[in-house]
Amino acid sequence: MRTTALHYIIVQKQKPMETETKLDRLTMPALGKPSKIDIIHAQQSKLANGIPVYSVNGGTQDVVKIELIFPAGSRQQNMPLVADTTNVLLEEGTTKHSSEEIASLLDYYGAFLETSAHHDYATVSLYSLGKHFSKVMPVLEELIKLPSFPQEEIDVYLTNKKQRFLVEEKKVRVVAARNFPALLFGDNHPYGHAVRMEEFDSIKRENLVGFHKGHYSSNGCTIIVAGKVKDTVLNALSDSFGKDDWKGDVEVDGKATEIKPSGEKKHYMPKDKALQSAIRMGRMLFLKGHDDSIPFQILNVILGGYFGSRLMSNIREDKGYTYGISSGVVFLKEAGYFQIASEVGSDVCDKALVEIYKEMDRLCTEPIPEAELQLVKNYLRGNVLRSMDGPFALAERFKQVWLHGLDYSYYEKYISTLADITAPQLKDIACKYLQKDSIYELVVGNKKS
Amino acid sequence: MIQFERFTLANGLKVIVHRDTSTPMACVNILYNVGARDEDPEKTGFAHLFEHLMFGGSINIADFDNALQQAGGENNAFTNNDITNYYLSLPASNIEVAFWLESDRMLSLAFSDKSLEVQRSVVIEEYKQSYLNQPYGDVWIELPKLAYKVHPYQWPTIGKEIDHIKHAVMGDVKAFFQKFYCPNNAILAVSGNVTVDQVKALCEKWFAPIPAGNPPLRKLPVEPKQTQARKLELERDVPVDAIYKAYHMGARMDQSFYAMELLADILTDGNASRMYVELVKNKKLFSEISAFTLESFDPGLFIISGKLSEGVSLQAADEAIQEELKKVALAQVKKEEMEKAKNKTESSLIFSEMSILNKAMNLAIFEVLGAAEDVNKETERFTKVTEVDLLVEASRVINENNCSTLYYRSKTKANGN
Repeated sequence: MRTTALHYIIVQKQKPMETETKLDRLTMPALGKPSKIDIIHAQQSKLANGIPVYSVNGGTQDVVKIELIFPAGSRQQNMPLVADTTNVLLEEGTTKHSSEEIASLLDYYGAFLETSAHHDYATVSLYSLGKHFSKVMPVLEELIKLPSFPQEEIDVYLTNKKQRFLVEEKKVRVVAARNFPALLFGDNHPYGHAVRMEEFDSIKRENLVGFHKGHYSSNGCTIIVAGKVKDTVLNALSDSFGKDDWKGDVEVDGKATEIKPSGEKKHYMPKDKALQSAIRMGRMLFLKGHDDSIPFQILNVILGGYFGSRLMSNIREDKGYTYGISSGVVFLKEAGYFQIASEVGSDVCDKALVEIYKEMDRLCTEPIPEAELQLVKNYLRGNVLRSMDGPFALAERFKQVWLHGLDYSYYEKYISTLADITAPQLKDIACKYLQKDSIYELVVGNKKS
Repeated sequence: MIQFERFTLANGLKVIVHRDTSTPMACVNILYNVGARDEDPEKTGFAHLFEHLMFGGSINIADFDNALQQAGGENNAFTNNDITNYYLSLPASNIEVAFWLESDRMLSLAFSDKSLEVQRSVVIEEYKQSYLNQPYGDVWIELPKLAYKVHPYQWPTIGKEIDHIKHAVMGDVKAFFQKFYCPNNAILAVSGNVTVDQVKALCEKWFAPIPAGNPPLRKLPVEPKQTQARKLELERDVPVDAIYKAYHMGARMDQSFYAMELLADILTDGNASRMYVELVKNKKLFSEISAFTLESFDPGLFIISGKLSEGVSLQAADEAIQEELKKVALAQVKKEEMEKAKNKTESSLIFSEMSILNKAMNLAIFEVLGAAEDVNKETERFTKVTEVDLLVEASRVINENNCSTLYYRSKTKANGN
């Protein structure tokens, strides 16, 4: 039975000495000396108009990714869906080119556009081969500066988006994910709001035009460049985005909304005949830069953050209640929260819940065995290496501290905490944050079956 | 361009090494030449269930995952109709741990009863999560069944029915391992910060002692040419009607495959694609539409799937798709459309080579398809396709008598027809 991470270490210790010639398949080969982790920093520069540019030059392929970040997320919007819709519609037509023409141009040079709106910010990214970069850069410039938000495109987008919304609503996992944050933040808070079908109907063209004007301009913009970043790339960037022709009155921060968590901890949304029920559990935490942030993240990995986690070992690998269960920490600019997610057989949902609470409780009452802790430390060290492999990954690492007002010292602290943290310290963290009565619970599905 | 070296051990294990010193990591990809197409029609879903069991302990190592995580590694695996593929990444300095782990489970599994019992349940939950408790999930059970009458592509990788998984017993597990999990039925691809000499030495040490097996020669029934249109209607609790059309096409390594891939791009990839512009934007018949091939090794399917807009009948949607398809079957696509599709494909290939894991996986897959060298011929094979080739292939494939059509009706009639 595989309930702890100890098993093979025991095998190793009990192994009798063997002759040198026979291949020893019982003992794990000695691990290499952990290499020092060099964190390659993004280089900072500024365009003439003051836009900060962070670049990570490297990699084997002649490719470039340019990411423009704007304070244009749901926290900055004054009505639901505006941030998201504005972001998507940027590529659906400019004053010079139609949606189809824009796509054609990018396709022709094998470039890809990626738009995404989050709670605290929105991004527009362009991926291009180095050799075609100068050809596609003006397209990016045009759709950031001169989007025309054609009514026809807005209508098609919203109609089809509503349909997809309906299809997604059929998935217990999606319904749980959409509704869980409201329990922690309240439905009026931008971090907690669960989008409703009728909200698609209130979006008007002027909302998008206004939101674009207020949030997609040079004074709120930050640029991250990664890949083979040659001078020609930086020059093209400067030509397109370095001038003063796209200044605006940026509303960087949205209005502060009060956090109003649900009075009840346990919630159930029935879905008749669902074969599986989706579970979401969790609680409010702290900001990414908080003193407990890194220790809690390590604790989270032990609980549900990797394949060998306690939740996976118990709920999947021992009981077979689910195909997967995981826990994670979500850091937003103004808040952080912890959540567990799974889809379990509806008939075993109650049993799974009992086991999940049991695993949280075990972390509060029993110190983590040394071997398990060491394993997680090794695993996470490998993960740090993996997460910094290649220019795109390094750019992402930079973004993930920059967004939270942190710097590279965060990763140094992460690596040193990983080396030094002890089982008693983790137990204290568990006691502080994983008490059963502090946990919100949402089940979407069919508890009766 | 992926540089690599290849050698074969005495027991038949093929090894491919790609060195990339820009990374501190290494990837080990091991592909077993067995997929759902090799299953007994009465015991389907077995190749995939077996993939789960490969993590349930091997003869000398109780727990694969724990050992790998101890070495800072991470892994996953997938099974499809054609192959079973296991891959892991870890700091290159710990590469030997990967060889120790992978060679032990090739040598023999622990065959634990507990593991079989648990993984049967896990796979049944996976079945529910991916196929039964998802809107439109059972399309991938029903559509292949309609399109294939004799070839084993007629069942999905996860299995024809949950009962096949429920009834798997230890005897089946052992027999399956004996039959397919031997060095001469596998390809090992290693990429990252390693040297060829290092990999050779590690292979000699860990894999060479494993005896060769007798993998069966694959003799699959050939799907007879479809001569009549096939239709199926399903009614389910989904919010909107959907349509699926599956046309028989060539195998993965046929030159015709590349034509169909480009055609799929031209039809539905991106805001400037034909069907997107015509059927989603202009005529507003669909909320989404996509064309794709299944990339199967044996002759496969070219699929068009779409979700209908409110008030559109399945009949009208079907006719509109056929009308668009007729255009590409009757006249050459424009030179510019072709160029765009080719450039996009080339660019995707270049981006995909940023990852050492992708490189290892692709080398192994092309090796099992014939020769790892072919991984570097993909761009050329796409470039070679002319507008005339595409027309010839489209007119051969696009034909209702070569098509299986599935009308997936909404029971709740949210789209009001």
